[in-house]
Amino acid sequence: MEILVCIKQVPDDSVEIRLGADGQPDLSAADPQGNAFDTYAQELAVRFVEENGGAVTVASVGPEDNKTCLKNALAVGAAKAHHISDDGIAGADAAVTANLLAAGIKKIEEADGVKFDLILCGRESTDAIGGEVGELLAEALGLPFVSDIVEAVPDAAGLKVKKELESGYLMVETPVPAVMTVSKPDYDPRYPTIKSKLAARKVKIPTIAKADTGISADAETPKVVFAGFEEPPKREAGVKIQEDEPADAVAKAFEIMTADKVL
Amino acid sequence: MANYNTLTPELIEQLKAAAPGHLLTGDEINEDYAHDEMPIYGKRMPDALLMATSTEEIAAVMKICNENLIPVTPRGAGTGLVGGCVPMYGGVVIDTTKMKQILEYDLDNFIVKIQPGVLLQELADDCAKQGYLYPPDPGEKLATVGGNVSTNAGGMRAVKYGATRDYVQAMKVVLPNGEITDFGASVSKTSSGYSLLNLMIGSEGTLGIITELTLKIIPAPKKVISLIIPFEDLESAIATVPKLKAANLGPQALEFMEREIVLSSERYIGRAVFPKEIEGAEVGAYLLVTFDGEDEDSLFDLVEKASDLVLEEGAMDVLVADTPAKIKDAWAARSSFLEAIEAETKLLDECDVVVPVNKIPDFLTFSKKWGEECDLIIKSFGHAGDGNLHIYQCSNDLEEDEFKRRVDIYFEKLYEEAVACGGLVSGEHGIGRGKVKYLKESVGETNMALMEGIKKVFDPNLILNPGKVCYTL
Repeated sequence: MEILVCIKQVPDDSVEIRLGADGQPDLSAADPQGNAFDTYAQELAVRFVEENGGAVTVASVGPEDNKTCLKNALAVGAAKAHHISDDGIAGADAAVTANLLAAGIKKIEEADGVKFDLILCGRESTDAIGGEVGELLAEALGLPFVSDIVEAVPDAAGLKVKKELESGYLMVETPVPAVMTVSKPDYDPRYPTIKSKLAARKVKIPTIAKADTGISADAETPKVVFAGFEEPPKREAGVKIQEDEPADAVAKAFEIMTADKVL
Repeated sequence: MANYNTLTPELIEQLKAAAPGHLLTGDEINEDYAHDEMPIYGKRMPDALLMATSTEEIAAVMKICNENLIPVTPRGAGTGLVGGCVPMYGGVVIDTTKMKQILEYDLDNFIVKIQPGVLLQELADDCAKQGYLYPPDPGEKLATVGGNVSTNAGGMRAVKYGATRDYVQAMKVVLPNGEITDFGASVSKTSSGYSLLNLMIGSEGTLGIITELTLKIIPAPKKVISLIIPFEDLESAIATVPKLKAANLGPQALEFMEREIVLSSERYIGRAVFPKEIEGAEVGAYLLVTFDGEDEDSLFDLVEKASDLVLEEGAMDVLVADTPAKIKDAWAARSSFLEAIEAETKLLDECDVVVPVNKIPDFLTFSKKWGEECDLIIKSFGHAGDGNLHIYQCSNDLEEDEFKRRVDIYFEKLYEEAVACGGLVSGEHGIGRGKVKYLKESVGETNMALMEGIKKVFDPNLILNPGKVCYTL
């Protein structure tokens, strides 16, 4: 089975990010990396082809710098990587991203002479947490869609997948080609070996320019406009009750709550 | 021999007046204050507990205790492993965990000033936000930095950056008589008489109580990569270490771990991180190595050289952790070893010994042989880069007295062997109450007499943390 995994490059989500003086998030301490859910999707894909045959291709939309996450993906089992170049993607909405991916995927299929049976995205990105690109991509490609899968096995119909629900799991059979989003399976993405890592660092990743994808003007016009970042209001300092005796402290607490009409 | 007095109601009133609202007695004291993380070394509740908030408050309480011969035991987060903060003779415990302010940074001079109750993790995180690194990295991140200084804690990065001692520039101390003094200075070198600062570091709360610390920090390395290196057995893993060091690649951390302890840890944290099998062959041991550098390309050159070397020396493979999430996962398993052992063990003791690096395999073989002789379960890990081994003795079926009897025989043998091959009793956990006997045997009477003499100069009434390090009753 030919599987494509879409990877978004995001800032390291273990770093606390605040707005800088210019009102933009200060990302200087947050190294770029592959979105966690996309790396889960890739691990699921690599395990699938190891078991059932096929190959995994990865693709990412964004500036040149996105090749970092693609090289990381090549080190852990992806056979090929494609960069869909768009310096302005950071301001785009989920629909534009999905449309550009859809147009880019067709170009990748042409370039590599393949037809993807399964296209995977992470269930959401750890920066924007929109959780919409997978669904919109399926719509743009006119393919069946299953969200939040954690397992996939071949099936007479195409694929049988385990979809995570809040209350448990749903087993879904679907024909392929299909688009799916991946949640967190009960395993972690593998570590690259030094050999695969060094080899991946040397790979020249082909780029498809946005202009060459044939995306229409309408498809690349955001429907949702980014208004700006705003920090949540700081919590006001509370009242410290510092009476020595517990009885006095309780009395004081009641006095404050009564005055503030909490009681 | 000191004759201590007990706390009378009048003395408690005096202490309460000296520390209004911060002195607890009787049932107000949580039973955790009777022990540290190694309760096998004895438990005892304090008669009073000071939740200290200032140097002056500690000084006032110390003065009263000194004048009335009341023993005082300082305590940080209680994460020690040698019974160092257990008030074996009752009296007052002074808890510094409420003194947890990071006071100021002087980034031009690479200095941070803190109160002693700041937790290691809090200091590390705060320094990282400034773009700096506080290099000491002991496994227990919820220890107080004051506690780290008191035991000269080492940790993972000691192989490149040294132990806590190397990062303490100055401190404010309350002496046992209540006097407040400063040791050291915020300058990078000194040659100004005996180093009282260095006497305090590693003195385990027996000479004075640290109430403020001036610490050295360094610009944070721009890029960090960890390598998980599986081997078929521990011997081949350890045999690689001197060669890795000789190659002058400057690893920041260089840890070894055996298969069993990794399995325990992964059961504890609930996720599998390390490979257990490489191309059909079972992995028997691992090295976990971290390199740091200023840019990715030069760091990968270093990592490639290190990988070539270990593969030539018999490593089964080299796995690369170069993203924050992967590095965190690899080290989370390593950092949970002690908790993992505790979770699976009823009775536990530990030998925190340091030996020359090239003696590690022989020493571990010796430790296993004597584990079998004494019929104790032995679990080991440690800092391969500096020869500091943590060898745990475990039992789930022995009675405590019998366990202690066997552990005593075991310790005698191990420490004798450690000293014979050029090592010492403790690499980083300290002596506390648990290792006094073995320290005496290891350093000899002359050195113990010097230590006792120093103790008496600082603490003539012998009220501060009695029964620990060099002074037993």
